[in-house]
Order: sequence, then structure tokens, then C-alpha cells
Amino acid sequence: MATSEKMEYRGQIHQLQKDMMVEWYQKLNESALTGKPPAVSLMISGNCIELLEAFDLLPLYPEVNALQLAIRRQSLEPILIAEEMGYATDNCAYVKADIGAMVKGITPAGGKLPVASLALCNFVGCNVYTKWFEHIAEFQKSPLFMLDVPFLRTDSPSKDDIAYVVRQLHDLVKQLEQISGKKFDMDRFREAVRNSAKVEDLWSRIKHLSKKKPSPYDAYFDAISLMGPLYVYRANPRGVHFFEVALKEYEEMVARGQGPLEKEKFRVVLEGPPPYPFFRTFRDMFAKWGACAVASTYSTVGGLWEFGFRHDPAEPFEAIALHMIENNVTNRNYLQRYDQIRKYVDEWDADGLIIHFVKSCRLFSAGQGDMRDYFTKELGIPTLYLESDIEDPRYFSEAQIKNRMDAFFESLGHAPARTAAQLSAGRAGSGIPMVPVQSPKLRVLN
Amino acid sequence: MRYAAGVDVGSTQTKAVIMQDDGHEKKMIATALVDTGANVQKAGGNGFAAACKEAGIAPEQVGYVVGTGYGRYKIQFGNTQMTEISCHARGAHFLFPNTRTVIDMGGQDSKAISIGPEGNVLDFVMNDKCAAGTGRFLGNAADVLAMSLDDMGPFSLKGKNPVKITTVCTVFVESDILSYLAQGKKAEDVLSGVNLAIARRTVSLARRVPVEPAITMTGGVSRNVGMVKALEDVLGVTLQISPLAHFAGAIGAAMYALEKVNEGSEAGNGEGAHAANRGN
Repeated sequence: MATSEKMEYRGQIHQLQKDMMVEWYQKLNESALTGKPPAVSLMISGNCIELLEAFDLLPLYPEVNALQLAIRRQSLEPILIAEEMGYATDNCAYVKADIGAMVKGITPAGGKLPVASLALCNFVGCNVYTKWFEHIAEFQKSPLFMLDVPFLRTDSPSKDDIAYVVRQLHDLVKQLEQISGKKFDMDRFREAVRNSAKVEDLWSRIKHLSKKKPSPYDAYFDAISLMGPLYVYRANPRGVHFFEVALKEYEEMVARGQGPLEKEKFRVVLEGPPPYPFFRTFRDMFAKWGACAVASTYSTVGGLWEFGFRHDPAEPFEAIALHMIENNVTNRNYLQRYDQIRKYVDEWDADGLIIHFVKSCRLFSAGQGDMRDYFTKELGIPTLYLESDIEDPRYFSEAQIKNRMDAFFESLGHAPARTAAQLSAGRAGSGIPMVPVQSPKLRVLN
Repeated sequence: MRYAAGVDVGSTQTKAVIMQDDGHEKKMIATALVDTGANVQKAGGNGFAAACKEAGIAPEQVGYVVGTGYGRYKIQFGNTQMTEISCHARGAHFLFPNTRTVIDMGGQDSKAISIGPEGNVLDFVMNDKCAAGTGRFLGNAADVLAMSLDDMGPFSLKGKNPVKITTVCTVFVESDILSYLAQGKKAEDVLSGVNLAIARRTVSLARRVPVEPAITMTGGVSRNVGMVKALEDVLGVTLQISPLAHFAGAIGAAMYALEKVNEGSEAGNGEGAHAANRGN
């Protein structure tokens, strides 16, 4: 049976992360009051924080605002405001929470948020997101820059795709010069890219540490905590320092044989964003079963680095284009996502896969039913499919989700019918045939 | 003699079962059925007490109690809780050891479970966020037709030309039914159409797990002969249905409980298992 009903683990890195994010919100507040430094709204997926860093511009992520509202259980009010404005129930709740909050001046941290000097839509894979940024520009009277990033349709991006994005990045630089009042400095830009490459290297090493048993951190819930510094501070020396501290902390935990749970009984891979309004409740459902996420696709939305990609200071514009087109999970095609998950299950030695479908995000969630079939039927990997939402608390049914989670872990461990010794061995007592993971029958692109 | 109990606190009814193991044979010696009502905790207690009375034993003689169903966390006298998914699988295996797929239709849930040779769960799917394809859908149809749930099954079998129910919404099915009745369709044809609509929905859900024979149906809806026929027609196979199908969850829970009693006994504390484990 379970070791602990609640998840209590908090490392020093969580405090440092909190301090850095509070500081970021303070800077945003200052920007709102003084106009300095100017802020740029942008998307998490394949974010080009390096360019902003080169101009000392402040990133403003509407998605982070939305999730911060949700995790503090403040998302329903702005969602309802947006629905009163005419946004349909079926619209993405991230959009509704952000727009509703913007219109009413609601902010997650209590301070003010600046009007974006530029609404930079750097991800167009989701039509709803392009509309989101058009609305931000409309409501805030901000200039809009729509960066048209082609979806990754083939094995790897074509030269034309890269050139197409690079050309737009040069246009973007001109606009950033205008709003910052600074001349573009190639050396500063390279320095920012160099910092990113260092962070990506550290982050990738952290991602591979979860192969250890026990994993020193939860690669879903804890990885989400690390995503703030990854997207806000990646191109800055502060980011490098943060990830050095994080890597050291986790390496020390590995040396001590310590993980986030009292005892790691199950190792799972997570697909899909979390239910932010019930983040803690959801985490406790895993903790109850001694289940630790050893890898997750959601932690690669902003960038996919654990398989080798790094920003290259020698070709910084091309590096940004490659990051946007190829190296973030949302711009990749579905077969590549299958392959990513398959590698996680295989190389990180997971007992099963948990897919969390979120109603808001059709882009991320469409096709997850087939994904479930593929992993259970083709690969024989125990897979659980859950449904709720990333932002809207009205779609989270605690009893239903708990029931499915409990049944899934019961089936994995066959608890409490098996002995404690078998249970502690996790999959050993499962009685479930674990088919060796083989290459999918579908064509895998890389 | 060792005794164990399973209590399945469902959304509509609470089922309790007492299992006995004399060292040679595991036998079900009592069942009890009570309405759940608003007081979930009381319903669990009442069900357990009724089953003990039926078995002619005192509650203290029961070595281990496993609770299941949505109300399982409220069964405070029980030793542990398990999901109805695990319990239905185990219960169906007890009733029909050749079972490889379980289709369970209850008041709020419909689920399909793929099970291994020992009754362990291999995979499962359930309805999500929607009561279409559940007992509640049938209940609403019964309300519109002013018919009891027990009468619905035999009555629907009279339908020769089932109407096409296009909605899958448990609420909107009422207006669909009224509309057909207004058009002069026979009530039995409407009901037969309702059954087919649910059957198609359930089978499309079930096909997400490997639907392998033999298929055992459990849950309260298994008592509805019309619904069973519709499911068999859509699946193209005969379903195994026990007169005790309604108790499958409680039976599975009791089987798990019996394992616990026997484990405790092997560890040398069998008789005291119930006392030691209370309140876990």
C-alpha cells in the first residue's frame, strides 16, 4: 500500500526558484509602473528569450500568468469574465483566464503586469494561440509581430524552412531595436545564446539523472517548477547559476540514494500538461502510490534538449530557428512524440505511461486516444488515460480521476492482494506481461 | 474457519458479500443489498451487518473487510479499499474463471476491463465526464416512459423496429424519446432503440481494450435482458451473466479480503487480523 498520502518533499532548489520567479514578477510590476524595461509578450513553445536578453527586454509569458492563476486557484473568475465577454465555453481556458485577467487587472502575484510593448507570437502551430496574441495586441493596443514558424512536417527542417524563419528573425530584430531604443549588438546576442547552451547542457544532465533509481526528483511535478527559470532566465548568467545549483542538489541526492518520495515504488512517464487548478491534489494521487515521474513530454514544451540539441553561439539565428521549428515538442509531429515517449519508457525504465488529456489544448491532446492504443496494444506498455483541464477547474472530477489512478496502480502492483515484499519491488508483483519495447511499427522520423 | 467480507458502496446500491474458507474451498456464504442513499457511511455499515446476519456470523468473526465502489473511502470499519475496477475483475473471475473481458454497467459508470488468467487487471477503459452508456441513461428513459427499471428489459424485447436514437446525452435523450412518441412510434420500439444506442456506445468504448472471449457482464444493468440482448447483437457474441452479476464488485473485494486473512494466518496472526488492521 501507499507510504504517504501527501507529497511533502521540497528541496532548496524550490526555494531558489520561488525567489527568482517572485523577482521576475517584481520586475514586471516595475515595468508596469515605469515602462522600464519594456516587456514583450511571447509564447513558451520554442521561446526566443536569447533575443530579448540581448536587448535587456523583459519577457512576459501569458501562459505563465494563466497557469499561475490556476495553481493559486484564481483562474475561474477571469475565465467567467472572458465567457461573459463572449468567449465560448469550448475556447482554450488559458486564453480566457489571461484575457479575463488582463481586462480586469487581475494578476497572479498581486502586483501589476505591464502592457506589452510588443505582442510577439512566436508559435503559430495553434490557431487559437495566434488569435490569443491578436487579442492581446487589440486589447492592449500593442504592436503585433506574427512569427510564422512552419510545423515540422518531415524528419528534420529543410534549409528553406530555416532560412524562412531566420529572415523573419532579422525583421524582428529591427522591431526590438525600436522598442528598446538600443542598437542590436551581435556580441551580446552570442553571449545570451552561449548562456542558453550552458543551461541546456545542465538541464539535459538533470533530465538524464531521473534514470537513476530512485529518481532524485519528479520529472513532471518538479520539472514544472524548474521550467520557470528555464524560460525566463535561460539566456542570463542567473539561469546558469540556478541550473548549476539544481544539478548539484540532484547529484547529491543520487549519491545519497534519495528521491522525492519516501520510497519509489513505481516509475511512470507523463504525457500532457497538468491540471494546474488541482496541481497538489494530482501530485498527492501519485505520492499515495509511491509513483514518481521519471520523464514527461510537458517539460519539453519550451524546448527539447535531452536528446542533444543546444543553441549554437556560432550560428545564433539559425540556432533559434532550429529551436523553434524542431526542438520543442509542440512543433514536432505526432510520430516523433511517440518515439520520444517510447524512449522515455525504455531508457528511463518506466513501469507505465499516464496520458493526461486537457480539454483546453486540442493541439496537445488531439490524437491521445490513438496514442493510448499504440502504447497498450502495439508496445504492451500499461497506459492510463485521464481527462480534465489545464486551467478550468470545472473539468476536474476528483473522484473519477482518483478512481482511475488507483485502479491503474492496483493493476501495476496488484495491491493490496500481493505481499509487501512484492509490492515494494513495484513491477515485479504486477503480473502484467511487460513486452520488451521495440521500435514502433509506425515509421519513426528520427 | 476463516471469513472475509467485501462491501461495494455504489452510487445507487450497496452490496456486501461474506466469503468463507475452510482450508479446502472458498465459498460465498452470504450476500446483502441495501440502497446507498445520502449516508454513504451508514449504507456500508448496514450492508455489512446485513450480510453478517445472513451468514449467521458475528461481525467480529470477519477477519478482513475490503471496501470498494465510489463510497469506499467512507467505509471506516473496513481494513482497506480497492477500486471497483480491480474488484469487478476479480469478482467476474470468481463467477466465471474463463473470463478475459469484463463489461460492467453500473449507475454512473460503464467500463470494460481486460483481465489475465488469475483475474488480475491488464487494462481498462471507462466513460469519462459523461453518463451516456450508463444505467443513468436507462433510468432517464424509464422516467419518460413511466416504467420501472425491472419492466424495461422484457418490454423492450417486444420491439421489432428499434428507432434510431442519435443523441448520446443522458439529459437530451428524454426529448428524443418524447419526440418519437409524439410521432406515434411504439414505446417498445423506442426502448429497443435506446438499448441499441447504449450498446453501440459501450461496445465502442470496450473495443479500446482487447475484447477477447469469454466476456462476462457485471453491474446492475446486467439484470436488464433487453440491454443484454442489444449488447450481444452489437458484439456478435453471447455474454456470460451470473444471477450474482450485481455483486461482482463485492465478491471481488471479498476475495481480496480473503487473501489478506489467509496471508495473516500464514504469518501466524490469522484470527487477530481484523483487530490488528482495523482503522487502516
